[in-house]
Amino acid sequence: MLTTSDNSTAKSRTLTSKQLPKATPWVIAVASIIVAIIISFIAFGGFNIPVVAVLAGLINIVAVFALSMSYEGRRKATDRAATTIVTSSFILACVPLISLLWLTVSKGGAAINGDLLSRTMLGMKGVLDQQYVAGEATLSGGFYHAIVGTVLITVAACIISIPIGVLTAIYLVEYSGKNKLGKAITFLVDVMTGIPSIVAGLFAFALFSTIANVIMPGAAGIAKTGFTAAVALSVLMIPIVVRNTEEILRLVPMDLREASYALGVPKWKTIVKIVLPTSVSGILSGVTIAIARVIGETAPIMVTAGFAKTLNWNLFSGWMSTLPTYIYDSQLRPVSPGDAALASSERAWAAALVLVTLVMVLNLLARIIAKVLAPKAGR
Amino acid sequence: MKLKHLAPSAAILAVGALTLSACGGASATGEEASGGGNSDLKGTLTGIGASSQKAAMDAWTADFTSENSGVTVNYSPDGSGAGREQFLAGNAQFAGSDAHLDDDEVKQGKEACGADGAFEFPVYISPIAVAFNVKGVDNLNLSPDTIAKIFKGDITNWNDKAIKADNPDAKLPDLKITAVHRADDSGTTENFAEYLKATAEKTWDAEVSGDFPKDFGGEAAQGTDGVVQTVTDTDGAIGYADASAVGSLSKAKVKVGDEFVELSADAATKVVDASDKVEGRGEGDLAFDLARDTKESGAYPIVLVSYHLVCSSYKDQETVDMVKAWEKFVISEKGQKSAADSAGSAPLSDDLRSQIETVIDSIKVAG
Repeated sequence: MLTTSDNSTAKSRTLTSKQLPKATPWVIAVASIIVAIIISFIAFGGFNIPVVAVLAGLINIVAVFALSMSYEGRRKATDRAATTIVTSSFILACVPLISLLWLTVSKGGAAINGDLLSRTMLGMKGVLDQQYVAGEATLSGGFYHAIVGTVLITVAACIISIPIGVLTAIYLVEYSGKNKLGKAITFLVDVMTGIPSIVAGLFAFALFSTIANVIMPGAAGIAKTGFTAAVALSVLMIPIVVRNTEEILRLVPMDLREASYALGVPKWKTIVKIVLPTSVSGILSGVTIAIARVIGETAPIMVTAGFAKTLNWNLFSGWMSTLPTYIYDSQLRPVSPGDAALASSERAWAAALVLVTLVMVLNLLARIIAKVLAPKAGR
Repeated sequence: MKLKHLAPSAAILAVGALTLSACGGASATGEEASGGGNSDLKGTLTGIGASSQKAAMDAWTADFTSENSGVTVNYSPDGSGAGREQFLAGNAQFAGSDAHLDDDEVKQGKEACGADGAFEFPVYISPIAVAFNVKGVDNLNLSPDTIAKIFKGDITNWNDKAIKADNPDAKLPDLKITAVHRADDSGTTENFAEYLKATAEKTWDAEVSGDFPKDFGGEAAQGTDGVVQTVTDTDGAIGYADASAVGSLSKAKVKVGDEFVELSADAATKVVDASDKVEGRGEGDLAFDLARDTKESGAYPIVLVSYHLVCSSYKDQETVDMVKAWEKFVISEKGQKSAADSAGSAPLSDDLRSQIETVIDSIKVAG
């Protein structure tokens, strides 16, 4: 190579070896994207996003490595290539997330309006959708009943699973030590984490239809209620709450507990007054994450709560819809098949936007709660 | 580090819940749900079954509940098999099914519904179109054997002499045929295959099932919309789909007897009227063996017929009244028209309607 002799003289003159300017990786990245677009136009006759992305990625790595090799030497070139691969992987991982959010916001945002949020599907029929697609009427129908169903079922699931989950975690951390029962519970919780959601739904439905059959023979159908769905969701939620709470409780320093015992405070009071307040922010954000996890469940709700078209405030009687089942039902089985299925699809996207927003708000809330309730560092 | 902070968040939640309950609850068209209707029926009817009826069911429930505001009708489109099973287990008051009960299920029906067993009758007739997309060809006549050969992959070009023989006037291009079928398990495929099996048995030697035979080749598409989309996008494509979904695509005429029959609601209704009832069933069991190979003039034999299953007797008068009112509405001229408008189905014939009405009238309280 030409540079070998230059390099050795350069090294002898300065302490630092030659370095590419800081902006170089970015310049190369932009250049490789442009080259990829040009190649895509020549070889594939048009702008093709996947082709451009793959080509740009490959060209980028090769170009960075080659340039750095010829200028900075082998060590630095390997380092730069590794950095490029790691960064590209990160961008690759972001692509589905951003594309999903973009699709939901653009499709849902175009369809959503106050009417959709405040109406139910009572009296909805295909003719109305056909009129909408033909441009003769506005979009009818809505998913107010699904929002109400989602909130009610999720709240009921929380009421069931948060006390059970938190208390189980307290038992595991504070009481069980390393005894057999504790180990058994930990094992069972681990198993529960892996239960597919549809199995949880079937379990809840089987349980309640058996009970219903005992109370009122031949009427197992009444077991399809919002409450059954809440029980199914609890089965999914409890292990998450237990796991998260357990991790947080273990973080509470032993010193705090010992200080409390030293003052003669009994164990239960230590837990209530010292351990829980210290860890409440972590527990609550763990709970919120568990909620965000189950709020989007579709399969167990379908089995346990059916597909309701109308508003139902009663958790203990009648079918209920939630946003996920509403989206599933609208998209898969439109009110009007054929061209007018578009209207059902628009309602589904709007509902998806509401659902994604709900989950995001919950996640944000978890962060805010963690911030606000976190133990103060100063004293 | 105080639990006091919980109070504000609880307050926010409570306020949120109140806001949620304060607004909304209007019906699909935005009118306040009024106590309209002139009936004093009250209660909930639950049905489980075929998803093919879903769109029609939406239309029926919408119109029925506007006349009987005290009644809620729930329908879960879990599939025909699930519907029959749940109905026979007593988990639903009625079921929708693309197939009639088999002999075992008729026996189970006697356990679930009393001595007279379960009643069943067709409520939803949906023609299946053979849709094609060939530039310059608007009319296409196809005999069952040709259709079978196209979808089996034996005929691969539009200028094949078998197609030419049925279409002497058409200008058929030298173009590859893309036969599009459903990738998923579906009632449409099952009825289509049943038709081909009955009319072109020599060519269509596969078992009839909801899955399209794997060895037959062709292009697979997901769902009805997928088939319609693929046919629309591909020059030289042909596919089968629910008539309500094919939109502006051209539909082939199908050979019945000696003539080629165009798809229409009347033609679809005719084939059901030309069919015989399944033998050895009770009076309330209007199950039909569809005459796929009918020679009846003007009948279109590629149809999907979906049934409703109800009990011959229910425990209390309220349920009996509700079921009677509901099923009578479903088969009424108004109900059938509503389904035809919304779901593109073919209405029942007057003759069949009066038979079904007699059946519905005989539903009674168990005792």
